[in-house]
Amino acid sequence: MTQPSDTPAIPGRSRSPVAAHPVTSAIIAILVFASIFFALWVPLYASATPKVGDFPFFYVYLLIYMPVLGIVMWIVITLQRRLRPPASEDGTRGSAAASGGEVTR
Amino acid sequence: MSNVNAVTFTIVVVLFLVVTGVGFAAARWRRADDMLHLNEWGLGGRGFGTFVAWFLLGGDLYTAYTFIAVPAAMFGAGAVTGWFAVSYTVILFPIALIFLPRLWSIARVHHYVTPADFIRGRYGSRGLALAIAFTGILALMPYIALQLVGIQAVLTVMGVGTTSGNAFVKDLPLIIAFLVLAIFTFVSGLRAPALIAFIKDTLIYLMVIVAVLYLPAKVGGWGHVFGTAETHLKAVNPATGKPGVFIPTTGNSQLAFSTLALGSALALMVYPHAVTGVLSTKRRDIIKRNMALLPLYSIMLGFIALLGYVALADKATVANVKKAGNPQLAVPYLFQHLFPSWFTGIAFSAIVIGALVPAAIMAIAAANLFTRNIFKEFFKPDASPRLETKVSQWVSMLVKLGALLFAIELPKTFSINLQLLGGIWILQTFPAIVFGLFTRWFHRWALLAGWLAGMIYGTIAAYNVSTPTTSHWAGSVNTVWGHTYYIGLTAIILNIAVSAVLTLVLRAARVPAGADETLPRQYTADPVDAPTPAPAAAVLGTEVRRGD
Repeated sequence: MTQPSDTPAIPGRSRSPVAAHPVTSAIIAILVFASIFFALWVPLYASATPKVGDFPFFYVYLLIYMPVLGIVMWIVITLQRRLRPPASEDGTRGSAAASGGEVTR
Repeated sequence: MSNVNAVTFTIVVVLFLVVTGVGFAAARWRRADDMLHLNEWGLGGRGFGTFVAWFLLGGDLYTAYTFIAVPAAMFGAGAVTGWFAVSYTVILFPIALIFLPRLWSIARVHHYVTPADFIRGRYGSRGLALAIAFTGILALMPYIALQLVGIQAVLTVMGVGTTSGNAFVKDLPLIIAFLVLAIFTFVSGLRAPALIAFIKDTLIYLMVIVAVLYLPAKVGGWGHVFGTAETHLKAVNPATGKPGVFIPTTGNSQLAFSTLALGSALALMVYPHAVTGVLSTKRRDIIKRNMALLPLYSIMLGFIALLGYVALADKATVANVKKAGNPQLAVPYLFQHLFPSWFTGIAFSAIVIGALVPAAIMAIAAANLFTRNIFKEFFKPDASPRLETKVSQWVSMLVKLGALLFAIELPKTFSINLQLLGGIWILQTFPAIVFGLFTRWFHRWALLAGWLAGMIYGTIAAYNVSTPTTSHWAGSVNTVWGHTYYIGLTAIILNIAVSAVLTLVLRAARVPAGADETLPRQYTADPVDAPTPAPAAAVLGTEVRRGD
C-alpha cells in the first residue's frame, strides 16, 4: 500500500472522485435511485389502462421497465468510468501489486 | 408408470444424462494446477468473464423453484404474491450495483470466500461472523430443498414414481437425480454448475419463447387470458378466505407489493450462493456489466409469471390442478396439456436442470460457510487449503442429503414455510454485510444484537400469520399499525434501529470495537491477476508444508 505512485500527480487526484466530478456523481445517484423508485412506487402504474395490445398497463409497465433498466444501468456504469482518474489503468495495476504484496506478507 | 408419456420421458432422461456428462467433464474445464484449493473448487478459480458470469449468475439467481412457484402464486392469488417477483428482480440490479462491486474488491484483496469471511476481517469478531455463517446455512437448506420440490412437481406431472405406495420407490427418480448432482458437485465444484448453466439457460430461453408465442393463442389469446385471470381473482379463494389481486389498487395491497419487492431484493444479493457467484468473476467491471445484462433474465421471469394466468385460461389445466390440490403443478400441467410431447420433454428438462444449477451452487456456498467460518475458525485454525477443500466437498454432500431428506420426509408446505423464513432470516445479515462495506460506525456487538432482534421478531411474526384454513406460517406479510408490510422488511428496520442505538451506547461506554484488517482503498481495488497465480501459490505452498 505504501508503494510510491508512478503516475504523475494530477490536480484533484488527492480529492475523492465524487468531489472531483460533482455533476457526474449526482447524475449517477439520481439514475440509480430513480430506477429503484419508479419500480417501487406502485400507485404510478397500478391501473388497467392504457392497455398495450391486450396487456393491462400494470403488467406491461414492468415488462418494458426491464430493457429500459438495462440501458440505464449501462449509462451508470459508463459514467462511473469517467469518475476514475485518466491514469486508472496503471493505478489499478499498482494497487494490485501492492495488495498482492500485502497478502504474502 | 403406465401413464408415462414415452417421448417426454425419453427426452428428459437423455438431457439429464447429457448434463451429468457435462457435470463430470467440468472438472477439466479451465483446469488449475492445484484443484484442491477453495479458490478452485469453491469459486471456479475466480476467473469467470462477463459471458460465463452472466450464465452462472442467471442460473444461480433465477431458480427452478421460481419457475414453478411464481406462476403458481399468480395462478392462486395474483399480483401481490406473484407479480411482485418481477418488480423485485427489477430493483435488484440498481441496489446490487451500489454494494456488490465493493464486496467483490474487498473479497479479492483479502481472499475472502464467504460473506462471513468479510465480517470476520472487517469487525474482528468471530461471534458476528459465526452468526452470519449460521444464518446463511440455515437459510440455504430449505432453499435447496425447494429446488427438489420443483423437480418433484415435474416428476409428478410426468407420472414418474407416483404410483407406488413405498416411499423409497416413490421418490427413487428424485433420489437418483440428487445423487448424481451431489457427486458431480463433489468432483467438479463450482465449475459444474457454471458449465451446466449454459445448457440450463438455453433450454429455459427456448421454453419461455415457445411458450409465450405458442400457448396464449391456444387458449384464446392474451386478451382472454387477462380477462379470465381478472374474473378468477375477483372470486374469494377458499384457501385464504380472501379474493386474489389482479391489480393492487388499495393502499395496503400496494404496500405489501412494494415492501415484498424491496425486502426480497435486499435479501437476494446477501444470500451466500449469490455472493459465491459474484466472487467467482475475474474483474470488478464484470459484476457491473452483469447488472446491466441480467435484466434480460427478468423479462423472461415476467413471462414465466404470466404463464400462471395462461394456465388459468386453460380449463383442462385448472381441472387437473384442482384434482391434485397443488397449484405448483399449474405450469407443468399446462405444458403437458398443450405442448406436443417432445417439447414437453424439453420444457420439463429445462425445469429439472434449472433446479440442479442453483442447488449445486447453494450447496457449495453452504459448505464454504461451514468450512471457513465454523470448521477452520473454531476447530482447526491451521487447516491447509487442501483440507479446507476436502471438508467443503464432504459438507456439500451432507447439505444435499439433508435437503433430500427435507424434500422427501417433510410435507411440502414445511419447506415452503422455511424458505419464506429463510428470506426473512438472510435479510437480517444485510446490515452487518452491506453497511460494513461502507462504514465501520456500527459496533460489532450492536450488529449482533440487532441481528438477534430481527431474527426473533421475524420468526415470531411469520409464525403468527394465519388464514381461515391455515393457523400458522400462512404468508410473509403482516399488519403493523394498520398497514401491511413484508415481515422481513419490518424485521430489518427493527434490526437497524437496535444496531444504531446500541452502537451509541457501546461507543459511549468505550467497549473495544475490534480490529479492522481492511483499508478504505481496498474497497475500490481492481486487482488484475490476484489471487490464483503468484501470491496464492506462495501462501498455499507454505501452508501445505506446515499442514502436512
